[in-house]
Amino acid sequence: MLRQPLSRALALTSPVRAAPLTARRFADQVQAQPEKVEVFIDDQPVHVVPGTTVLQAAAQVGVEIPRFCYHERLAVAGNCRMCLVEVEKSPKPVAACAMPVMKGMRVKTNSDLTRKAREGVMEFLLVNHPLDCPICDQGGECDLQDQSMAFGSDKSRFTDIHFSGKRAVEDKDVGPLIKTIMTRCIHCTRCIRFASEVAGVDDFGTTGRGTDMQVGTYVEKMFLSELSGNIIDLCPVGALTSKPYSFAARPWETRRVDSVDVLDPLGSNIVVATRTNEVLRILPRTNEEINEEWLADKSRFACDGLKRQRLVSPMLVDSRGNLTPVDWEDAIVATARALRDCPPDKLLAVAGDLADAESLVALKDLVNKLGSENTCTEQYFPLEGAGIDLRSSYLLNTKIANVEDADFVLLIGTNVRFEAPLLNARIRKSFIHKETDVALVGPKVDLTYEYMHAGDSASIVKDLATGTSSHAVARRLEQAKRPVVILGAEQLRGPEGAALLAYTQQLALKLHDKLADKSWKVLNVLQRTASQVAALDIGYKPGVGGALQGGPRVVYLLGADSGVVTREALPKDAFVIYQGHHGDVGAQIADVVLPGAAYTEKRATYVNAEGRAQQTLLAVSPPGKARDDWKIIRALSEVVGERLPYDNLDEVRARMSEISPALVAYGDVQDNNYFAQATALAQSLQKSLSGKLDVKLKQLEDYFMTDPISRASPTMAKCIQAVIKQKQSPY
Amino acid sequence: MAGALTRVIQGTKPHLGIIGPLAINVNNVPVRFQQTQAPSKDKYGPLADSDRVFTNLYGRHEWRLKGALARGDWYLTKEILLKGTDWIVNEMKTSGLRGRGGAGFPTGMKWSFMNKPSDGRPKYLVVNADEGEPGTCKDREIMRHDPHKLVEGCLIAGRAMGAQAAYIYIRGEFYNEASNLQVAIAEAYQAGLIGKNSCGSGYDFDIFVHRGAGAYICGEETALIESIEGKQGKPRLKPPFPADVGLFGCPTTVNNVETIAVAPTICRRGGKWFASFGRQRNSGTKLFNISGHVNTPCTVEEEMSIPLKELIERHAGGVTGGWDNLLAIIPGGSSTPLIPKNVCETVLMDFDGLVAAQTSLGTAAIIVMDKSTDIVKAIARLIMFYKHESCGQCTPCREGVSWMNKIIYRFVDGNASPKEIDMLWEISKQIEGHTICALGDGAAWPVQGLIRHFRPELERRMQEYSAAHGPSKAERLY
Amino acid sequence: MAARETVKSACKNVRPLVSADFCEARRRALGLYRAIYRYIPYIVKHFDIPKSEEDCRWKLREYFYRNACVTDIRVIDMLVIKGYMELKEMKHMWQQKGHVMAHWNPTLEPKPYDFIGKFLEGID
Repeated sequence: MLRQPLSRALALTSPVRAAPLTARRFADQVQAQPEKVEVFIDDQPVHVVPGTTVLQAAAQVGVEIPRFCYHERLAVAGNCRMCLVEVEKSPKPVAACAMPVMKGMRVKTNSDLTRKAREGVMEFLLVNHPLDCPICDQGGECDLQDQSMAFGSDKSRFTDIHFSGKRAVEDKDVGPLIKTIMTRCIHCTRCIRFASEVAGVDDFGTTGRGTDMQVGTYVEKMFLSELSGNIIDLCPVGALTSKPYSFAARPWETRRVDSVDVLDPLGSNIVVATRTNEVLRILPRTNEEINEEWLADKSRFACDGLKRQRLVSPMLVDSRGNLTPVDWEDAIVATARALRDCPPDKLLAVAGDLADAESLVALKDLVNKLGSENTCTEQYFPLEGAGIDLRSSYLLNTKIANVEDADFVLLIGTNVRFEAPLLNARIRKSFIHKETDVALVGPKVDLTYEYMHAGDSASIVKDLATGTSSHAVARRLEQAKRPVVILGAEQLRGPEGAALLAYTQQLALKLHDKLADKSWKVLNVLQRTASQVAALDIGYKPGVGGALQGGPRVVYLLGADSGVVTREALPKDAFVIYQGHHGDVGAQIADVVLPGAAYTEKRATYVNAEGRAQQTLLAVSPPGKARDDWKIIRALSEVVGERLPYDNLDEVRARMSEISPALVAYGDVQDNNYFAQATALAQSLQKSLSGKLDVKLKQLEDYFMTDPISRASPTMAKCIQAVIKQKQSPY
Repeated sequence: MAGALTRVIQGTKPHLGIIGPLAINVNNVPVRFQQTQAPSKDKYGPLADSDRVFTNLYGRHEWRLKGALARGDWYLTKEILLKGTDWIVNEMKTSGLRGRGGAGFPTGMKWSFMNKPSDGRPKYLVVNADEGEPGTCKDREIMRHDPHKLVEGCLIAGRAMGAQAAYIYIRGEFYNEASNLQVAIAEAYQAGLIGKNSCGSGYDFDIFVHRGAGAYICGEETALIESIEGKQGKPRLKPPFPADVGLFGCPTTVNNVETIAVAPTICRRGGKWFASFGRQRNSGTKLFNISGHVNTPCTVEEEMSIPLKELIERHAGGVTGGWDNLLAIIPGGSSTPLIPKNVCETVLMDFDGLVAAQTSLGTAAIIVMDKSTDIVKAIARLIMFYKHESCGQCTPCREGVSWMNKIIYRFVDGNASPKEIDMLWEISKQIEGHTICALGDGAAWPVQGLIRHFRPELERRMQEYSAAHGPSKAERLY
Repeated sequence: MAARETVKSACKNVRPLVSADFCEARRRALGLYRAIYRYIPYIVKHFDIPKSEEDCRWKLREYFYRNACVTDIRVIDMLVIKGYMELKEMKHMWQQKGHVMAHWNPTLEPKPYDFIGKFLEGID
């Protein structure tokens, strides 16, 4: 089955395109490597697999051939002609991006013919390109600018500028994220290819032909995708630029800090661009294991939420019940008094979605020192059976990159597209380029690719696990050589959560037992938030339900903004401490507010859904009187009189590694086992399932605001409005 | 476009190495496909009536099946089919038939590419009836007046390459032609000539007609394939060639209507007979379209290598106002460079003869221009056509052709600097050979022909302009 | 003595500023000390500073002890010259009260060294 234009099929299935994956081939995938052919790039011999393009072969010897339309993660278009190179015995230059190598081919990347061809193409590209670099946001990071410096002519002979001028194209409105200045477009079609191949939104295309050709959506339409921001990075010129970032800064003015995204559970790698202690924009950073080089829209554009609704000063409830700014001393003393006076069993700490591992460790240590065991997270996970004792029960064990190798993906109660957009992009990638099929148990949602819908009743999972199902999905699962089961953690919340998990574990184990390749992991639980895995690793109890029943006197909310803890659920005299960076749900019910740092403002550890620890770096300093989160707790501990034994980050991390070495093994992810043991422990929990599976994020408009940062972001608010408006339009 | 653009094959011949070990160079080196030694002749044409392939070119007879049978079509088709693939391909090779669409690629060899071991994919024959090249009007005559020749040709060609079906992509504007062709196909189906067990040979073959929507670029073979697949008609990158990955991802051969339509006659009368016409490597008969400033414009079948002058004098009633009134001739459809009168005196109308005159046979659409012609304006109009028809996919063609168009329209008025003539030449060279398909080449060549032969005319206009209006702005800016 | 030897060798190489040897430099330094010491009562009186003569003497002593380690004659000379300049500025009332008080750094706050202190200050 081919799900792509046939013409592209061959180009994409070339061995080289699959090359990045060869590193993680699995036992039954190992094929005899075809014999390599020798080619000569500028007389340097290089041995490459047949099917490699000239451009890739040149890259292997460090010769970079200029290109505009070629992108290694997209289909080859070959239309910009910038990569023309001379090949010996060929009368005309060939497009290096599309030409497969042939034995003994001699490529000259710096000959007169090549240079002339490049110069010619560059001249043509500039003929209709408005030279408005001074007011163009792409200036400084523009491929056209750079390459015209490197490969273009040193003078212009476009006399017609004074007769008929240049082409002008009307700008398109594709939503609140992407600004289009279509006059600058050089028709490389990268955005079109990205939209149809990766994002799965076939709205972009070309209309007209010749000089009248335009890239656009034909009718004015928003680009309804959660990955739309990537076309900004892809655009080699300033035709597609970031709307929120427009006219904000030049790339050379910004300081770039490598960091990690925390707005979805995948922990995409990002670069935070800052200037004058202000986050200006967030760009993706290549990490083949997680996000390739894409980034989801929320992660990219919610950064303006970091400047709004911030808690900049400690606050204390005054006599009239209003939160009033106070000094740190007062806030700390008031908090410490409350903690000290609280009976240990009435003390409750709740960790939120964006809490980092350092502060989680510090808070747990403090609460334990005070004699309480009540530390929990907002997200729920069943504690029955193996619970959180076995790490494999709550992680994405297959790992994000390996999902590409799967041949059947079963999604249970998750809308991956919005819960983890880049995981969905991976699934789509294997759906398109390989024969992978996808099935979904849960509400029918648009995943951007076709899938078998098995229904939305939880009992289907039971039927699949016990082998009583006659659904086509069951047959496909039986036949699959590398099946993947992804369970949305959201489904475990209800009373049947434990049973659902137990059945899913049994199903996964059953599938795993049949596999020839035992190193392949089947079971995956997709957490919803960036903090959950670290919190479970550290030993937080998932879910606050039970703890709230005890009627806590003091509640410590560590960025708990999901609205799980409410005033109504607490005793009237309960003292609520909120520590966090945004004035959101948590701060509203607090008696004392301790302003913390957001993820761009601290060096902190986050563990993603795979169990991979990564750290954010300090890009800007926390605003106002806000402090690093673990330090607030550390200072508090001293005033309470239960001093925590670490004074700096290294010491905190040493403490973290005592708890779990995985927390400080940055970038690494460990293989998990004990699936069978987890299943055995969960055996008794296999009760009947009757409920329906439902997901929170169903539509694109649900996706944009899920956490305090994105809720504070005006851009995200605009996105929701635009999506709703687009849905009302007839197109 | 039914052709000039298929010339792309010429440019990509070094890649043929993938397909088979061939030593071919169209321009000067002897080629291997031509085994028969053509009788040494020094006089070519006129063609005897008995040797004409297209006997109903002017529609004087019945075009339907009855008339076709009377003219000898469908005669012994079954026997030809039963002789098998190798025999047909061999006969085509013997005939020395070169593609009639403009590129002049040897047809026998092209068909033989299709006979690689099957990998389970079906094979297709695609007939390029998207005849859009200005000046060309040969395929429409065939489809209008002799459609059964094409239908039978499809069957034989399909047999030769083991194709399951033929798609005839016909230009959208050819309404009557498409309708006649459809009628002919229906007749052939009813008579059992095609379809299941075609002609009783045990070979199943279908023919579909697909009407285009009026884009010149869809005459380029890969754009044509895209168009049949329902996509925008934009040429594909080669390699992979259609013989590997063509229509619907299957091996495909794209041939011109005339190429296909002469195949049955070649098979019936023998490749040697066909090879006896014309010079070596340029054998056969050919439809010539003569238009422009001649007394009787016409489409006529003639022997290859007939002298251009004789062709015009004999069949088109001579140039208006006499031969001396001739200014220039575009010998092969709008995309070929023009040749001035002195070249026209002696040039022979075949592939090699015209290449020697720095032009090309193309589709053999001869456009005659007498001295009343504004030659610059004529070429400018052609460039405007190419600008309008460029698909916009690749840069040199999209940007370059429209730039050339701007410049050459200034040349018409003379509002330009003489230095810009060299610049225009260079721009045309920057387009030529740098594009995915051959439309860029086809747009560059007329300009090159104009500059090569009419540079004094261009300079004279610029002088006149500056005398009347002062120096051109371009002069000051350049 | 070894120090003196090195000083000597250094003096051989570079051109002296004022003093030819260490004794002379020492004499000049003592002279400066004495001059300032004698002027301290006037400083207290003229500038009306909230410091006693004793405080000023301690400050003077502190300044000289701060440079006790200086052995390079040229540096000593330079410091002495600067000291006389300072004294002259005070004598002629070119300096204000603030300048004089600046020697006690009244606005300087001690840097916190403990965690809580640093936390409240907001420094790492």
